[in-house]
Amino acid sequence: MNTAKPSLSKQRRARKTFRADSAYHATGIAICLFFLAPFVITFLASFRHGTEARLPPLPPWPTSGISIDSYLSLDTFGAGIWQHTINSLLVSIATVVLTVAVSLLAGYGFSRYRFPLKNVLFVLIIATLMIPFQSILTPLFIILAKLGLNNSLLGLTLVYVTLQLPFSVFMMRNAFDAVPKEIEEAARIDGARDLKLLVRVLLPLVLPGVATVAIFAFLNAWNEFLAALILLSSNEKYTLPVLMMAVRAGRLGAVNWGAVQAGVAVMTIPCLIVFLLLQRYYMRGLMAGAVK
Amino acid sequence: MTDTSVVLTDIRKSFGNLEVIHGIDLKITEGSFVVFVGPSGCGKSTLLRMIAGLEEVTDGEIEIKGRNVTDLDPSDRGIAMVFQSYALYPHMSVRENLAFGLKMAHTDDAEIERRVKAASAILKIDPLLDRRPGQLSGGQRQRVAIGRAIVRKPDVFLFDEPLSNLDAELRVSMRIEIARLHRELGNTMIYVTHDQTEAMTLADMIVVLRDGRVEQTGSPREIYENPANTFVAGFIGSPRMNLLNAEWVGDGTIRIGKSRIATQIDGKRMAPGDRLTLGIRPEHMNVVADSEGTLRAKVDFYEYLGGTQFLYCQLEDGQAVTAEYRSSVPVQAGDILQFRWKTDDLRFFDAAGLRLRLLDERIVQAPANSRSHQP
Repeated sequence: MNTAKPSLSKQRRARKTFRADSAYHATGIAICLFFLAPFVITFLASFRHGTEARLPPLPPWPTSGISIDSYLSLDTFGAGIWQHTINSLLVSIATVVLTVAVSLLAGYGFSRYRFPLKNVLFVLIIATLMIPFQSILTPLFIILAKLGLNNSLLGLTLVYVTLQLPFSVFMMRNAFDAVPKEIEEAARIDGARDLKLLVRVLLPLVLPGVATVAIFAFLNAWNEFLAALILLSSNEKYTLPVLMMAVRAGRLGAVNWGAVQAGVAVMTIPCLIVFLLLQRYYMRGLMAGAVK
Repeated sequence: MTDTSVVLTDIRKSFGNLEVIHGIDLKITEGSFVVFVGPSGCGKSTLLRMIAGLEEVTDGEIEIKGRNVTDLDPSDRGIAMVFQSYALYPHMSVRENLAFGLKMAHTDDAEIERRVKAASAILKIDPLLDRRPGQLSGGQRQRVAIGRAIVRKPDVFLFDEPLSNLDAELRVSMRIEIARLHRELGNTMIYVTHDQTEAMTLADMIVVLRDGRVEQTGSPREIYENPANTFVAGFIGSPRMNLLNAEWVGDGTIRIGKSRIATQIDGKRMAPGDRLTLGIRPEHMNVVADSEGTLRAKVDFYEYLGGTQFLYCQLEDGQAVTAEYRSSVPVQAGDILQFRWKTDDLRFFDAAGLRLRLLDERIVQAPANSRSHQP
């Protein structure tokens, strides 16, 4: 009896933990389903047969075998899916590189140097976040036209970088503020100067900030539609969102749902890759300064 | 080779219009351990950072090993610095932390390996070489920080309150470690602290600073036994020296409250009624029988420390005095005690706070740039 008692209570405890664990995991699985369902449905639907694909996407999975018809028909829109994907990648990657480079230097400057009107300038930069960018599209268009950069991916990239910078500079300044000054001083005594100091010592320490800035820049540039639609005018320069608009509008009144699903799939994949690659740093970046 | 390691000539520092260092002259002997000590805001850290080259010098010159380094980069001055917050590179292993400075100087790999090995052997951090700073305890981090200084083989080591972040026990052992390191390496070391125990135990020479000026320089013994003014007298020593307001009666006698005390001051420039300050350390206040006492005081409260007790007392005229009491006879708050001292243990300061000469003793004169002040 004496030995049975503890084992009984042990059993009860085990059952309790089991129930708590199952509830925890069940909730987790349910949430995962909600988040994963759209992706799964899109990917499955994009592999339906040609004729099947033209029908409304219900049920969303292939009912008569798997095929890549949808991707092939997506390729018949615009200048071909490869061209538009490359356009989008070029613009997005260039936006990320430029944004990170400029905001890294600007954030460092705002965090470490003392110069007149520093805070006024900083507030001015942040204040531009309050201007809806749609309202300055016309002036932007005119400026780009004057510079000979309208209907060019470079022009579009510059616009994206400009729009991305206020947030990024703010983010990078915070990141640099969180790095103790002594580390930089120790590096200066060790003989690290200027660019070496920035790259070898400081960059690894602000990497979470850089990841956050990079993810935001990439996603915003990748998904941006309105500026791309207005600033680009020739077919072969369109980025993916503009192409998707054309696909969604359909031909001769008929919407090719298969092509739409395939396009959505193509547009999703890079975002997933970028996020999964950088999410570890990104989470830390958003948390930086949250405690302490 | 010169025997002076660091020479400061009329060093000044201003932040905007505010001058915080008011012209400091200092000669530091090769191989000595110099401690800058003073209350917070006295400019000791700023002075150290100017020697390191982290802070620009507004006016004056800094020489290290006979070379004018006033406008050189920190890495070209032949110095290494240990920070209060350790300032290790968190993304590098201990080995990389130690090697970083040498890599920056393009030292060849074999030499880096050799020096890192040597430094980690001295500091006993060999088993930690592949860890990150985040995986180390405070004491280990401080060792690594010191190691990073050692591998650079500097002419001068600079320490900026290196032990302030450690707990009391570790602080004592690291203090001994630093003293041992100084003996082994024999380099000039400049050490900033606000902890006078560290200053007294480590230093060959103490520089007492206040408000951006040097109040006194000297060996720990000189500073303790012959403070140049009431500030130094009160700052060095714990509990602090008793500084009692007294009045010159004339003929070598002073008055505190109703008590008259015979002294050996020559008093040539004093007139009866002049104010002066009598300084006496707590350990020199001896409790004596009623009939033998010079000064009567009432015990307000006491601290029992085992080997000794500190009595916090009040004189008849209300002035507070502290006495160290080594007898095992218990004392109660409210007791009236009689105190006496050896005449040699008394120190006198004029109304401006400067040390007064005695008849038979040569006193180290306060440095020219020290400033008079009211206690």
